[in-house]
Amino acid sequence: MKFSKMFKQAALLSAVAGTALLSGCAMNQPTAVNGMKADGHEYLLTVTRPNQLHVIDTETKQVLRSCDVPGTFGSGSIQPSPDGRVAYVLSNGTEAVYGFDITNCDIVFSANQSQNGERVKTFVSLAISADGKELYTVQNPTRKLNDRYEVLEPRLAVFNTEDGLNAKSVRTFPVDRRITKIMTMDSGEVILGGADIKAINPENGDIRTLSALQNWARGADWIPPDAFAMFTQGEHVGEYIMPYFTIKWNGAPGDMEQAEFWWGMSRIDLATGEVDERETVPFQFIVFNWITDPADSNILYGAFNQISKHDISKNETVAVKDLDHTYYNINMDRNRTIYIGGTSSDITIHDPDTLEKIGSIQLTGDMSTSDLRIARLQ
Amino acid sequence: MALNNNKSKRALLSGSALALIGTMLTPAAIQAADGESVLKEKCLACHTQTGDPEAPYSRISQQRKTPEGWHMTINRMQRLNGLYITAEEKQAVIKFLSDTQGLAPSETAPFRYVLEQKPNVVEEVDPAYVEMCARCHSNARFGLQRRTLEEWQLHVNSHMAINPTTELHALARDRSWYDIAYNDTAPKLAMDYAFNDPAWKQWQKMAKPELAGRWSVAGYMPGKGDYSATMTVTETANDQFSVTIAGHYADGTPLQGSGSAKSFAGYEWRASLTVDGVKMRQVLAAAEDGSSMTGRMFRSAHDEIGGELKAMQGTAVVALSPSAIKQGQTQEITIIGSGLKGSVSLGAGVQVVKVLSRSADRVVVLAKASGSATTGMRDVRVGNSKAAAQLAVYDHVARVDVTPNESIARIGGNGGKLPKVQSHYRALAYSAGADGKPGTDDDMRLGYMPALWSLQPFDEAAAHENDLKYAGTIDGNGIFTPGDAGLNPERKYSTNNVGNLKVVAQVLDGDNAVEGEAHLLVTVPVFIKRAIQ
Repeated sequence: MKFSKMFKQAALLSAVAGTALLSGCAMNQPTAVNGMKADGHEYLLTVTRPNQLHVIDTETKQVLRSCDVPGTFGSGSIQPSPDGRVAYVLSNGTEAVYGFDITNCDIVFSANQSQNGERVKTFVSLAISADGKELYTVQNPTRKLNDRYEVLEPRLAVFNTEDGLNAKSVRTFPVDRRITKIMTMDSGEVILGGADIKAINPENGDIRTLSALQNWARGADWIPPDAFAMFTQGEHVGEYIMPYFTIKWNGAPGDMEQAEFWWGMSRIDLATGEVDERETVPFQFIVFNWITDPADSNILYGAFNQISKHDISKNETVAVKDLDHTYYNINMDRNRTIYIGGTSSDITIHDPDTLEKIGSIQLTGDMSTSDLRIARLQ
Repeated sequence: MALNNNKSKRALLSGSALALIGTMLTPAAIQAADGESVLKEKCLACHTQTGDPEAPYSRISQQRKTPEGWHMTINRMQRLNGLYITAEEKQAVIKFLSDTQGLAPSETAPFRYVLEQKPNVVEEVDPAYVEMCARCHSNARFGLQRRTLEEWQLHVNSHMAINPTTELHALARDRSWYDIAYNDTAPKLAMDYAFNDPAWKQWQKMAKPELAGRWSVAGYMPGKGDYSATMTVTETANDQFSVTIAGHYADGTPLQGSGSAKSFAGYEWRASLTVDGVKMRQVLAAAEDGSSMTGRMFRSAHDEIGGELKAMQGTAVVALSPSAIKQGQTQEITIIGSGLKGSVSLGAGVQVVKVLSRSADRVVVLAKASGSATTGMRDVRVGNSKAAAQLAVYDHVARVDVTPNESIARIGGNGGKLPKVQSHYRALAYSAGADGKPGTDDDMRLGYMPALWSLQPFDEAAAHENDLKYAGTIDGNGIFTPGDAGLNPERKYSTNNVGNLKVVAQVLDGDNAVEGEAHLLVTVPVFIKRAIQ
């Protein structure tokens, strides 16, 4: 605890010093923090193997700094704080969370979730409250006894971010199995992306269903969807998307001649909690995730082997371009510039209107399953 | 995402010892005790004594497995649970458990291919297991284990703890995977692969085959062809043997090797040999009556390169190479066996023109089939040794099957840690039979024949992506060598040198050429290699 406090003080001091220095010599410049442009300036965050967090300036497309993440690589999942200052990274085989001050790589938060004889895994589930004070994870615990394993119920864990290093969860509530990406809504509830998409109140553990997917009531003409995504994004437009794949039989189940193969999604508006659940475009190629165009919510962009643009009002794929190799992850800054990363060691940059490649960022290692998040530094 | 087209065509392809029982009992008992004392010392640090003399050790006494299965278990204990055990102690425990909690010959029979490391076996899996177990494992992996219900359920829990993302895979995340595995799949496993199957108790009571002695061996090695040899086995300690093997390939090239072997559960033969300078392994099962051992011999470093092996006790004709002769044709035939003394008879209408060479294990003759010889199978005799239906007399080659029909090769090398995994093909010829139509039940198997080998793209997509240029090459012996591992910037998406190909064999039959084909997927390396995949 002592160390943790010293740490925070040091971080605070250096932040103040940096700000003072800059404001002293360039009064008309936008606010900066430790030499980094602030006032909502956007930074791209990702993790590469062996285990480094990279902070990339979206304006210059340069890597500003790379922070060593303790422990072995987890899934590379990242949750930026609402003020963009701290990047929470899932590490150590997805058992631990480390919070980094992105302006100087200081570790300002850590939580080893495996405690009290439990081994706790988090499947990419990281979210943060609107005020940045509470960090949420979904924990999947097992316990090793002398000669056997016990499988325990998954739970939402709530951490106080100001507990700093070696934080312990302050509340837990039981949740479904198989939850992956989670996100906080304006209501304060946390979206739980599992077989069905639910929302949990992190104050009292109350759960409601937002979008029944595995348990949807469409009858035998549709197969229950396979809904899954490793990457949490959508913060650029205030939404959460869970993509899915399904089949409509149009007759006897199993008759592939009559069947229609569909991509679909549950898209949730974080401000209102409104759910937009629908088939998007016919399945023609694999897309790992979608993001919505801020200028037109009917336009989605996807990535995997191709970058693709879809108009879901017409259920059409309107443009496709092959990528240099397979990528997993797609995101967009406020200028609508598209970044595609994951898998290998380069982020490819694309124009949203032409889908043309307009740049590339080379990193020091492979991103594999890592997130590609946008932090807006205040 | 969801597109695992797992329709699961994983499918299956597929004694005179009584007098020695007394002498074997004593050393067997000593070794068993050694293994058990190591087990008590090492395993009971975590496992507990149950107090039940029938099942004295928790989580151990409720399972039965092959030697490879127990080996994997102990490896896991070392890797995950801090077990420290020497190589000798480990061998003693594997031996003890395989002998006292092993599988009966009838229990391993359906799944021997996985122990033999035989590549390209397509299994036919019970639909209840297809998506729950067989989407990651071979059917053989769980089919070679016997557990009580509680053990199968604890095994599900081990999956959840050791591989926690199991329930997120395609075909798991769309259902309550853990509940189904624990409450539906484990009870079915406990019935289908029951710990208390009487086969094991019966086998334990039976006299075990005598493995020491002289064996007459016939086999096949890719790139070299059929071989015949005499394998001499001497017991050096209880269930441990020295082995020498000497013989010839069909073209007359000598084959020479030696090494050592162990036996488990009274019939599982595991040998390590150096044959003509190459390290090889044998995984064989002795017949319950001790008359033969069958299995596979393969290169230790490239287990995909190997072939079937059959060893016979006593005097016998084991195989012919080739095993067919065309009406009106004169050709060399090698008869493989042991104690081959006396005159050679190849059946009606097939004349032995000349004996070209002979030894006890190998007779090479020049044979002539008369133009009017009736088509059909002939018994072959050498002196008093006779083998039924060994030689086919045929009119035309009407059909060629390429084996294996479904196959995989894996890119490798190129500075990476994993070598290329080759694949190997043979052309199996048939004549049309009485109905004159190939592909019907009365086709007559002529055996393997030499072929001209070539590759083609499997489909339009493969042609479009130019898989033929990148995925690899096939040689005159039907051995396919895949391309280098790693991204290839020449290819779309910089994709690896993977490919979807057809392997085409052309067998020449007089002026006629008959083609057969097989499917080959050239894919990425396997990064985790297990004794039982």
